[in-house]
Amino acid sequence: MQREEKQLEASLDALLSQVADLKNSLGSFIYKLENEYDRLTWPSVLDSFALLSGQLNTLNKVLKHEKTPLFRNQVIIPLVLSPDRDEDLMVCITRADTVLEQKRQTEGRVPVFSHEVVPDHLRTKPDPEVEEQEKQLTTDAARIGADAAQKQIQSLNKMCSNLLEKISKEERESEGGGLRPNKQTFNPADTNALVAAVAFGKGLSNWRPSGSSGPGQPGQPGAGTVLAGASGLQQVQMAGAPSQQQPMLSGVQMAQAGQPGKMPSGIKTNIKSASMHPYQR
Amino acid sequence: MEAPPVTMMPVTGGTINMMEYLLQGSVLDHSLESLIHRLRGLCDNMEPETFLDHEMVFLLKGQQASPFVLRARRSMDRTGAPWHLRYLGQPEMGDKNRHALVRNCVDIATSENLTDFLMEMGFRMDHEFVAKGHLFRKGIMKIVVYKIFRILVPGNTDSTEALSLSYLVELSVVAPAGQDMVSDDMRNFAEQLKPLVHLEKIDPKRLM
Repeated sequence: MQREEKQLEASLDALLSQVADLKNSLGSFIYKLENEYDRLTWPSVLDSFALLSGQLNTLNKVLKHEKTPLFRNQVIIPLVLSPDRDEDLMVCITRADTVLEQKRQTEGRVPVFSHEVVPDHLRTKPDPEVEEQEKQLTTDAARIGADAAQKQIQSLNKMCSNLLEKISKEERESEGGGLRPNKQTFNPADTNALVAAVAFGKGLSNWRPSGSSGPGQPGQPGAGTVLAGASGLQQVQMAGAPSQQQPMLSGVQMAQAGQPGKMPSGIKTNIKSASMHPYQR
Repeated sequence: MEAPPVTMMPVTGGTINMMEYLLQGSVLDHSLESLIHRLRGLCDNMEPETFLDHEMVFLLKGQQASPFVLRARRSMDRTGAPWHLRYLGQPEMGDKNRHALVRNCVDIATSENLTDFLMEMGFRMDHEFVAKGHLFRKGIMKIVVYKIFRILVPGNTDSTEALSLSYLVELSVVAPAGQDMVSDDMRNFAEQLKPLVHLEKIDPKRLM
């Protein structure tokens, strides 16, 4: 007997602390909703929900724990009911065979322990209206025949699976097709331009007059013109071309390019020199 | 000028017969952030690495039809780092069974007077650019995402101009010749970057 009582005490304490935690987080969530609703972000709401759900889970675990005695086997009856305001709110509770006195602060929510509030606070069944509704539903369910019920179940299942299919289809489309047409993440023309630039300096400043097209591509005529035709890259060529007449080029190279004279325009230089490539033999 | 001191033949023998397997693609500026996020998720867990390099490409003309090309690269944001001299062979597209471009490659770290040395040997600078971007690794795979900048005044890396509105994305592995299996891993990795970036084997000759 002594042991059982101790166990009951311990599990009640555990339950109380769990409920207190839950109450605290509910309180802070409500406070957040009421006072910070203007700058509340959805992730933080989700966090609060996750916290509550976790605490409810722990509470359930405590209730289902094998060492927790079955609370439903305990009976609680009010011993004293008084219409007077009770500052300390002394509640006398008899639990089955033992009498237990508990002084509980209700934080100002229950000022009196009277006939009016006791049915609400010690209620173990749903509200009468809810009970009424439930009864209504039960009778409705009983009225329908087994065949009709089966049919309704089937149609509901069908609707659900249809809906699921639609949703997943939508997801697939938005993931596969929806992303790319709306927002291009890469441009094949840019890829080509960049690859050409690192491979043989196409579009980069060529300090040499020969318009050298790079390794292993001797005498590629009109490298410059091809480039100038590439969309969006004209300015590349324009800017790069004038610097070709920089003093970097030596006289030897000039001679090799076969264009020793002064060039009228940078672009022209490039095209001409490319067609008279020094490596073309 | 005599024939170039190094032939165009792949360097064989010893331990330096390395091949670079390469896949290339690009990403537009506004999608760079998403790509970086995805790469950080996919790649080895390491501190995000950035680089700012100046690459100069040198040519040596010989009797052969095509000039000999060497690439010299120096870090602009890490003082004291060695220069990097690189030889790249002719890219081979290969068949459908190989999923990456393959080219011979020789990498050497050098001192900073590399350019003078090359000039003395008869090399002439063909072009130069600045590369700025991010570096990721996954095992032996290297992923670089970088922007290419044109240099407006020769030799002055302070005044540069972006070449395009995209970042170049390169997935590369340097492995001994004949290790074509690595291209399978590269293909699998490239699949995971779709549809953000399409990494492909791009034949540069096609872009001439």
